[in-house]
Formats: sequence, structure tokens, C-alpha cells
Amino acid sequence: MDKLPGLLDNLDEATRLLADARDFAKPGKLPRVLDTARRVLMQPGGCAALESRAEGLERAGIFLGSDWATPSILVPGLTAQALSSGDSNLLVTEALSELRLLAVALGGYQHPTLAAEQAHHFLTQVIALNLPLLFGPPSEAERETQGRLAQIPRSLMQYLVERIGYEHVMDQLVEEIWRILQQRPIQVDTVKQMITQIAVLQSNPEVDLGTSGQGASRLVSSLFGPTRGCREDPGLDTYRERLQSMDSNALQSEATGFARAMHDTGLVSPYLPVLLHHVLGESDHLVAEALGVSATGRDCLLCFRDLVHDLIRAGIHPETAQAAYGLALLLDRGILHQAPLAPALRRQLVLPLTDWSRARLTLAFGSSVSAETHLLAGVLCMLGQPLGIGQGNNPTCQSARALSMWGCIDPDYLLQMVAWAARDDEIIMHFEGQPISSMASLSGVATQLPIDLDAVSLLVVPHLDRIYAEMGRRCIGREGDPHRWINPEFHGWWAGRGFRINVDVASGQLVDLEGFLRHFYANYHIDYNGNQPLIHPQPAGIAITDSACRFIGWHAICILRVDRDPKDEMRVYFYNPNNDSGQDWGDGLQVSTAGNGERFGEASLPFGQFASRVYIFHYDPLERIDPSVVPAAELEDVQARVLRSWGADRSPATAAALQASQGNPG
Amino acid sequence: MEKNPDKGYIALLGWSLAAVEAAETFDRRYVVVAPNWAEEYCEKHNIPYVPWNFERLNDRSIEIAETLRDMGVDVAVPLFEETVEWAGAINSVLLQSPRLYGQSLLLRDKALMKRRAQLGGIRVGIFEEAHDKEDVIRFLKRVNQTLLKLDGDPNDPIHLKAFDKAGCLGHRVIRTPDEVDSIPDEEFPVLMESHLDGWEFAVEAWVHNGKIAFLNISEYVSLGYSVFVPASPELEHYRPQITAQIEKLIKAFDIEFGLIHPEYFVTSDGEMYFGEVAYRPPGFKVFELLERVYGFNAYQATMLVFDPKASAEEVQQFFPREVEDANGYAGCFGVSPRRRVVSRLEIPEEVEDDPYFESHELTPPVEETVTKRTAFGTHWGLVYFRGEDPLRLRDLLKHQEELDYYI
Repeated sequence: MDKLPGLLDNLDEATRLLADARDFAKPGKLPRVLDTARRVLMQPGGCAALESRAEGLERAGIFLGSDWATPSILVPGLTAQALSSGDSNLLVTEALSELRLLAVALGGYQHPTLAAEQAHHFLTQVIALNLPLLFGPPSEAERETQGRLAQIPRSLMQYLVERIGYEHVMDQLVEEIWRILQQRPIQVDTVKQMITQIAVLQSNPEVDLGTSGQGASRLVSSLFGPTRGCREDPGLDTYRERLQSMDSNALQSEATGFARAMHDTGLVSPYLPVLLHHVLGESDHLVAEALGVSATGRDCLLCFRDLVHDLIRAGIHPETAQAAYGLALLLDRGILHQAPLAPALRRQLVLPLTDWSRARLTLAFGSSVSAETHLLAGVLCMLGQPLGIGQGNNPTCQSARALSMWGCIDPDYLLQMVAWAARDDEIIMHFEGQPISSMASLSGVATQLPIDLDAVSLLVVPHLDRIYAEMGRRCIGREGDPHRWINPEFHGWWAGRGFRINVDVASGQLVDLEGFLRHFYANYHIDYNGNQPLIHPQPAGIAITDSACRFIGWHAICILRVDRDPKDEMRVYFYNPNNDSGQDWGDGLQVSTAGNGERFGEASLPFGQFASRVYIFHYDPLERIDPSVVPAAELEDVQARVLRSWGADRSPATAAALQASQGNPG
Repeated sequence: MEKNPDKGYIALLGWSLAAVEAAETFDRRYVVVAPNWAEEYCEKHNIPYVPWNFERLNDRSIEIAETLRDMGVDVAVPLFEETVEWAGAINSVLLQSPRLYGQSLLLRDKALMKRRAQLGGIRVGIFEEAHDKEDVIRFLKRVNQTLLKLDGDPNDPIHLKAFDKAGCLGHRVIRTPDEVDSIPDEEFPVLMESHLDGWEFAVEAWVHNGKIAFLNISEYVSLGYSVFVPASPELEHYRPQITAQIEKLIKAFDIEFGLIHPEYFVTSDGEMYFGEVAYRPPGFKVFELLERVYGFNAYQATMLVFDPKASAEEVQQFFPREVEDANGYAGCFGVSPRRRVVSRLEIPEEVEDDPYFESHELTPPVEETVTKRTAFGTHWGLVYFRGEDPLRLRDLLKHQEELDYYI
């Protein structure tokens, strides 16, 4: 029986009641509209019916009083979260908003504040970001949180992409993939899935891509056929056979082909490990060529020849191909020359795993290769790309930041952490002389165990998170912000013991903003600190704002360096444990991840813009600095930026008492 | 809506969004009398408003009556149980009729109310007031002795209700002396009643000039869970007797105008037992159900019959014909989680696919652990149904009790 007509009658009636209600009564009429719309969305043809009703629904007031009422400020990046929500009203409102944008984009609805081009552009981004929804059934996580609702985002995306057309999305999608890859994340599974889908679409004669998707060929080839020997994606076994009959010239050309593709994209083809294993022990030259290492990397490879061979044999397989990129960067960083590192990696090679560690790794990565291999591959990636660590969808920015910092400047300590976590199921850290065991600590910031992480984070983060939370508990009752004490104890001696915060914890009000900024400039800005580049990465706290400048929450980041960019502008380069650092913080603050002198994984902002979002920083109180050299004019603009955004209702003039201490940064 | 200055000016006692909405679209002038927390909202949305905190009546209570009188208000309509005696007090000033206050006190106290009904020749069950747990145990024993039960026979339950709370709030069923311990001391004093096996139903009757203007029978499927209107033909079959009972009630309580909401049992031999009566709109969204099937707004109906300036013709024209003019049957079910631990809301597929299912007002769970249900009326939200067949609707509502909405 076709239920759609009856449901649409019901929806039209509910919409009419909403439209007729006065503003104050609308919230009471809304749930029925949303719930009926939810049922419509679950029917075949439901999306089309709602697209044609989009104007009436918006006029009735379904978006009134929410962000969706102002479509120009909507952020495509947030749609994924709304669409994966278990809250059906949130999910349905998001779906209706997108169907409205579709009606606007295709000219069916002349919107008063949004042009068709804008709507079109927005939707292409939405589709690109939610592309995984187009393919495959709901994941375990979606099933768990959404139940039957999980069907809605899928049929919505299917409908949107059919109406908008694949050819429009393709270029956006490809561009988006490049933008993400430029940050060189450790976790590339989603990117790989998207590229796989592009490859499938390109080979499907029923999909007309027009001239779009040209930029995708490098992405597709880097995964499926980066060299002459595997151009047509022949399969691993065939490729292994082909290698047997190749002469040294051909192998050389294979090796350079792999290296070029890998360093171009940050993606490693599963064929590369096959080549590596083939030439291992035959030719160190070809190993170095295939990894594409520099003179430093080649030197490390030759000095630690046996170790590197063992790492490749144990850790780099077609299933863990990305570890080849990690190893290449590890070698290039020269850190094998740090005395403890080679023996620490020897320990890693034979590290026994506890049942719990093994179960966690198997749950996350499957069992086609051993849990030990996955962990070793994860270690190689983390040592090679310490700025590629992401916190996943978890409020554990502190732990991700700590791992990244250790990966950058204290790699053998990081390996120690991995050993404790994986072998002992326990990490002990000291806080003001008192040991804190991750076993004994009750709970962390995250309420459930994260699963969407790289192999190392997967095992270590739950421990770090509990220790971090326990340190916070030990600071209860102290005046001011606990990070003053936690950060140096948690991260390492090199996190400055000097601490400044510009928010009064009790009232949430700004305190001595100018003095705070002056001090920040005098410590970090190389024009005012005696031209001293930052020595160790320093933890800092950021007040995150959205694209409409509204305060979202406190967030932990790490300041890596301060330097002039190619255009001679002073910038702060920092690490953001979020999975995608390219965020829009409003008021023109577009965090850059490439093109302004960033190294892979770094985010950056001009110094003043960055300063306007800092609320906590550390410094060495023994360094001689002179805050008076910072010109007042420089600070005025920054203060204005603070007061225009997250500080708007925190200036002493307004009485709104927002609690700065509420919640942990995430 | 355009207000007619020749018609009454009405004060709504208590904050109800649905009532305000109805008043907005009605041709009478109105003002909301509510605690200060409503002020900001009323100002923002341009809703006429007078602040008043409804606590116990005291020496200052005359102030609100005088304020309303000076504004030219004609009558006050109580929206909640707690404002019934306020309406009585205020109306005794506005309408210069002191007995209205006394009447409202009768309607506020469940024990007084039963006595008055008894005096008016209306049948009631056995009832008594309890001041502590001892009283409850004694009453439970005595009722069961009366029923000639032997030691060890399962007891007939008794019902406990707060004197002055609306409907199901504070309603408990006690079967054994052990259960008495679970009653918190602060709930006393309470009214105790014997249990009547029978068919429980409620009536909403709009009274104008001492006569019934419209009488609806609401059929309970399970008390505290589900209700639908109009009643099934089986129950509507008793309409003449029910009408006679309501007329007795109007006489016993000397009601000239207003909305009364009594509850009755009809036992298997066709005898009617009076439960209680309220002088305010019913809970459980019966007003919405009525609007769904009859199309008139029951809040407007209430304002109309309260308005001393309303004419008999206007009242007659306002109301449709009972049962005949109803477009189908509408019912609702109050969902309570059945599991101890729940993680999300999911409307059962069979409900969603049922053509009678209309809408729901359930929200996702805020906590995973479900507090044990101790009293009636503590549901998490309502689910609405509508259809042509009253028996199918009744079975459907009954069946909801076996379904998990929260899993």
C-alpha cells in the first residue's frame, strides 16, 4: 500500500496549523510537522514531495529561531554531524533545510536571502562531505545511534546527488580530497573510500561525468596504479609475478613511480609493500628509491639497515601500506640518530600485547593481518607524521595533542607510552610527585571508549584521558584554571610553568585583556621577543568560534612556531588535534592549512588573528621579556576582534556570568 | 483576531500556551494572570498579562480581584486545579456573588466534594481521609473485611489520592500493607477510596445558565494510559443516564456556568458511581482530541460559557451536535518506558505503519536509567491516533501498552 498520499495530507495539515499559529505558539506545532516529515522522508518519493513543499514549510516557520532560518551562515561541515544524529528532529530539520536549498538551487523557490548559486554551491559541498552516505549500508555506529533513521540521510544524499548531478560534485569532491590530504592525516580510510567511489563512478558508463573529475586521476592512480607495472590495477598476486621478471631498470622505474605518487598525495598504494618486500635484502638503493627518502633518510636507512628491514617486514603490508609513508618520513626526520629510538623500536618489534589491546585493535582494524602489525604500522605513522594525529569524534583533544607533541620532540617517550599501554594495560604518570595510574582512575573526559582512531591512539588515548581527568580532579578546589598545573605535568618539562589566562574562571568574564595580549606578543612574537624562535611546542587554549563568530567551546591546541610567511606576514603555525584544521572561525578568520608556508599538518593564522582566539598560554617565567615594547596600536585591533566574537558577552560591562570552568576542552 | 467590545472581557488564571493561543483567535478580550516568570515571554509576544503568584489565599488576595475589576474584566476562568479557588474568590467579587467562593472550595477538596455529592443523592464508593500510614492500613483491612475476604485471599486494592491535586497526580494503588511503607510522609493527608470494578469514564460538560450546553464522554481504555473521544457506542448507549447524573451534579453543586470535568464508574449492573469532579479543563489533552474530531476549540468554548455577556443563542450556535457531528474518533496514549535502561526513542514500526497513527510528542530520553513508575500520570509523552472505527481504536490503544517506544 502506498502510504505517501496519506502522510502528505497529514503533513499539509500539520504545516497549515504551524503556519496559522502565532509566533509564540509555533514551537508547540512544530514537533508534529517534523515527525510527519520524518515519516515522509522514509517513503519512496518522499524527498521529492518535500522538495516541492520546501517553500511552504519554510514560510510556515519550521526554521524559525534556529540557525537554519539564516541559510547564509550555514556551514556544510556541520551537516555530517546533524545527519548522523540520533535526534530525529535535528536530523529531519537538517534534511528539510537541504531539500529547501535544493529547491532554491534549481530555481523552484526564490529565496529572499539566498541566491540559487549559493545554494547550489552549498549542496555540492554537503554532498562531497557526506559522500560515504551514498555508498554502503549504515555502519555499526550509525545503527546504534540512529536505528531506522539511518535510512534518511542515505535516501536524502541519493536524491540530492541525482538532482544536482554527479558532474557538479565531482570537482568539489576532488578538491576537498586534495585539501584534506594536504594536511597529511594519519587516518586516510575515508579519503580512500571516496577515491574508490570516484574510480567506480568513472568506470560506470551510466554516469555522465562530463568533463569533470579530471583532477581525480592522480588520486585514483596513486592508490590503484601508480606505476607502469600496475597501471591497470592487476591485483597483488599478478603484480608480484610481474616483479619476478623485471630487470633492475624496470624495478628502478617502479620504485620512483611509487615514491612520486606517495609524496604527491600522502597516499600509499597497496602495491608498494609488494615491491618493498621484493627488493628487501636485494637492494637498499631500491628501498630508498621506493620510499622516496632524502639524503638524511638514506643515511638513516643505511645506518640502521637491519632495523629498517625488520620494520618493513613486520609492519608494512598491503593492509598497512600507509606505514610506508610513515617510515619514509621517520627516516627523513633523522630521529633514528637519537640514541634511545632504535632500541625502543626493537622493543616495539617484539612487544607482547595484552588480550585487551589485541581485542581493541582487532575490533577497529579487523584480523586480516595481526594486531601487532597494525600497532607497529601505527607507530611508524605516528613517528613519521606526528602532526597527522586526529582526535576522531571524541572530546579527547588533550590526549591527541600530547601524543603529537611527544611524536614531535620526545619520540622515545611516546614509544614508552605505547609499550606501557599495549603490554601492561596501565600508564603511570606523576602529578606533583604523586603517581597517577590510569588503571585506578575512574573515568576520563570521554564517556565511551573511542574507536575511530589510529592504532596508537586507540590504545594510548583511553589511558591518557583518564590520567588527564584525574589530574583535573586533584586540582578541584584550587583557585583559577587547573591547566596551569596540569599542562606542564601532563605534557613534559618543556611546557612553560608560567601561565596566563584572560578569563576569570568563576565569572566567565574577561580579565586584563590588554595585559594578556601584550604578554602573549612579548613572549611569542619574534619582533618583540628579541627575535627568539619558539624552542619547544607549547600547549595553548583556544576559544573556538563558529563561522558566525559565536563561542563554541574551549579547545586544546599546540603552538609550533611563529614565523614570517612567504608574503612576509607574521603567522602562528599550530597543531589542531581536530581531524580537519581548515576551519572558519568567523570574522574573516579562515584557518589556513596550505599555501601560507605551512608544513604538512600545520594550521596557521596571522599572528593578531590567532591572538584574538587564545585564552590560555604558557611561557618560561625566567625568560627576560619586555611587554612594553609591543605597540598599543597592534593590540587594539586584536582586542576588538575578541570583543566582536567570543568575548562579546564577557566584557566586564555585561553581567552575563558564563562559567569558564564548565566542561573540559575537547 | 478583532476583539468585540460588546462581549465579555476574560481573565485566564494560570499559564497555558494552548489557552492563550485559543484566546488570541477568539473574539473576546482577554488577559493572562500568571506568575512573574511568564512576564518576559508575554512582553516579548505582546500577550496581555497581569502578574500574580497563586499561593494560598490571604489578606492580599482581594488585590487581584480589584485589579481585574478596575480593568473592566468580567469573569475569571481557572485553567488549573490550583487556580480553581482563586477563580471562585475573584468571580465572587467580579460577579458580586459571594457563594461562588464557597462553591469553589467544595470543588477543590476531594473529601468535601464526595460528601456534597452524597448529600445530593449521588452514589459514591466507600471513602475516608487518612492522616498517616496507620489510617491507610486500617482502611485497607476494613474494606476487605467488608468484602468478606479471608486471611490469605488476595486483597481488593484501595486508591489513594491527594485532596487537592489534579487528576492522576499523586494517585496510588495499594494492595498490601507492605506497599503502605512506600508512601512518603509528605503526601499525607490523602483521600482513600475503595476500588470499583467497572468501566471508568470522564465527562466534559459545558454548562451555561445552569444547563448542559455540550456533553462529551471520554472513554478511558486504561486509566492513566489512554483515552479517546467520542466514546464507543457501547458507552454512548448510557448517554441518557449519564446526562441525568450530570444534571444531578449541577444541582448538587449549584453550578450556573462553566466547564465541569467529573469522573464516574459504571458497574456491570449499569449503576453509576461518582468519582470526583473538577472545575477546570481536563488533563491528558482531551481538548485537543475534541478539536480533532469536532473542530471546535474547547478553550474558546470554556471562555464562552464563563462569559456573563454570552447569549443563549451564541452558545447554542457555537457547539456542534454531540457524537453525530464528530468526524471519526481520536485518542491518545501516554507512553512510559517499559525497560529499566533505555538509550533512544524509536516509534515501533507497526505503530508508524498504522493508518490510525497521527503524531506523537515524545522526546528522546535524557537519562538512560528509568525511574520506577510509582504513581499514575507519569508518562513521558503522548501519542495521537485517529480513525473511523472506535473498537479498532480502542484495541489499538490497549495494544500500545505492550510496545516499547524507548529501547
